[in-house]
Amino acid sequence: MIVEDRGGREDPINSAEQEEDVSADAASSGAWLEDLLARRLIFVMGKGGVGKTTISIALANAASRLKKKVLLVELGDADSVGSFYDQTLAETPARLSHGIWGARVDARAELEAYVRAHIPSKFIAGKISRSRLFDYLFEAAPGLKEVMSLGRLWRWEQEGPRLPNASFDLMIVDAPATGHALSLLRLPDLLIKMIRVGPVANQLRAVQHLLKNHQKTAVVLVTLAEELPVNETVELYQMAEETLDMPAAAIFINCVYPDFFNRQDTRQILSLKTSFQNRPAAPEHRILACVVNLIRRQISQQKHIRKIHAKTNCHVHHMPYFFTNDMTLKEIEKLSLEIDRSVSNPSGNQL
Amino acid sequence: MTAISDAIRDPAGPEIIICCGSGGVGKTTISAAIGLHAAMAGKKTIVLTIDPARRLADALGLKPFATRIQRVPLENLNIAKNWVKPPGELSAMMLDPKSTFDQLVARYASPEFQKNIFKNRYYQHLSGNMAGSHEYMAMEKLYEIFNQGRYDLIVLDTPPSRRALDFLEAPQKMLNILGHNFFMKMFKPYLKAGKWGFRFLNIFASPVLKAVSKVVGKQALEDFSGFMQLWDDVMFEGFSRRAASVKALLAGNKTLFLAVATPQRLPLNEAVFLSEKLMANDMPFGGFIVNRVHFLNSEPDRLTIDPDRVFKETPVDPALKKKMITVYRNMRKLAQSDARSIDQLIEKIGSNIDIDVVQVPLSDREIVSLDDLYRLARLLEQKGA
Repeated sequence: MIVEDRGGREDPINSAEQEEDVSADAASSGAWLEDLLARRLIFVMGKGGVGKTTISIALANAASRLKKKVLLVELGDADSVGSFYDQTLAETPARLSHGIWGARVDARAELEAYVRAHIPSKFIAGKISRSRLFDYLFEAAPGLKEVMSLGRLWRWEQEGPRLPNASFDLMIVDAPATGHALSLLRLPDLLIKMIRVGPVANQLRAVQHLLKNHQKTAVVLVTLAEELPVNETVELYQMAEETLDMPAAAIFINCVYPDFFNRQDTRQILSLKTSFQNRPAAPEHRILACVVNLIRRQISQQKHIRKIHAKTNCHVHHMPYFFTNDMTLKEIEKLSLEIDRSVSNPSGNQL
Repeated sequence: MTAISDAIRDPAGPEIIICCGSGGVGKTTISAAIGLHAAMAGKKTIVLTIDPARRLADALGLKPFATRIQRVPLENLNIAKNWVKPPGELSAMMLDPKSTFDQLVARYASPEFQKNIFKNRYYQHLSGNMAGSHEYMAMEKLYEIFNQGRYDLIVLDTPPSRRALDFLEAPQKMLNILGHNFFMKMFKPYLKAGKWGFRFLNIFASPVLKAVSKVVGKQALEDFSGFMQLWDDVMFEGFSRRAASVKALLAGNKTLFLAVATPQRLPLNEAVFLSEKLMANDMPFGGFIVNRVHFLNSEPDRLTIDPDRVFKETPVDPALKKKMITVYRNMRKLAQSDARSIDQLIEKIGSNIDIDVVQVPLSDREIVSLDDLYRLARLLEQKGA
């Protein structure tokens, strides 16, 4: 069922003032992508349900085409990356496909390893890890889990090149939804003020150093061309720059409807629709309803896309909608070619 | 009529409806529609929501950033022209975890305690940022409003999270921290009372404690224990009593859980997982609302078209016709995929007739007015269009 036309309100599809479509950044050649993939650590952030995992995997594909060895990292309890590869990711990096590895940070295992590393006595270290106090601290101490997760990323960055099996050129972190991701990345600043001395404080300083190193670390924002995700993206963009000192390197707008119809087409479609108005059983009626529905949603998308372009100042990439509910790896591979596409074809986002 | 719609409208139906689901499925909008649906059936209803879209807030007539209860002007509806007075009443409230937490402390604690705890850095972290605090505070507010007894129905829109289940588990985690006096039992021998909070005096008396302080830092441990001491003495009683009541309320027959999802694999799986978890814990689960369905309820055969036979009598530019057919086929593909997902969902539910599945079609327009929301609310009555 297509929701039918409603009276009483101006319909943007009828207005001749339909604004020009915004196309992806035409000016940027491939420099932004090379620049992005030359880093060591990329945080992929955005609201729940906008396709962070899809973009993370697509970026990994793009990097592996540049002969880079990539580690896809899942933070937190969800295992979205693993579910695409039919694998359960664990702390030890596992090979997912050519040049792409995956791992899930287990904060508790990290903390145990941390205790072992800092407590000389094996006996006491073991006793701590098994004690209820440990469970308690793990749940209650603000940010302890998060610090451990960040510490893991830092160590991968440090050790990476030296591990025979896992010399990762690039880590792509599929971050938790915005709120949690923000508190995660703000944590080092916050805790350094609170803790000041001791091994955790030292660890935090190292992590902070890595996060704020713009040559090594980048934030990538993912959004849909809808109201809430766009607002959140604009906010996140400002916070990344001002509060986190981790400026966004690129914004990916997911599921953008391809430009099927120009303005002349739209006019003709509307007049056709009128002529089939009284024939609801005709297949043409269904086709036209469908087409008009798409054009409407495209107009709405363009409005939100314009807002992103107006309020941010980094590379904005439009990812085409594939008209599928669940992206498979094959489709993500195709999607990842769209990331490259702007390199060879700067005119952008057309299918 | 659907069982979900009946439950929403029934004067003897649930007094609390909790909408769960993973992020980005339209939970807030559905919650608002449920609230409106109940109000139109004559109930006094309130919707508790976290962060509505600007447009939805506008549609409801809510002022931004206000955390008080606001009345939704039902008289602005088009159909209100025929009313003498509105059938029911709809209010909405935007939840702010930090201020709810502060209010809660204010309820149980002396002014002096409040002053100190609000300054404590651990408290600030706990009330503002900590995973689980949003979920816990949503439950608190729900309980408070329920006990005031001013509404026939409270609709709770759960906080956005990646996993739908977080909402159920987070409060328990939070309580393990706040309601547990374990920490004090463990530490009391080593503490000495300071002016506000405690100082570790005999920290080196316990090798375990010494080791822990070596890892997290002595100062951090002291700040933390200061917070726990304040908390333990003043708040412990109030908190754990409330927690038990909230839990009982949620598991009782006054509550109904609904899972909101879209036809995609991940949100649907989350919703199914949630329903299983709820039922395994004897929580009242009412059904699924599948949002944003393409071509709701169309017969797949009816959707097939023959390109050679359409637009025969109407002259259309062949290139345009081709593009239109491409779009149509793409949409049909989505419709078929949606239908498959929903069939699988229905199959999974099997013979459990108490579980309803309501489908809401994907609209091509955003909800920008109360009338739009009313139209959506009416769709809850239909299994499919």
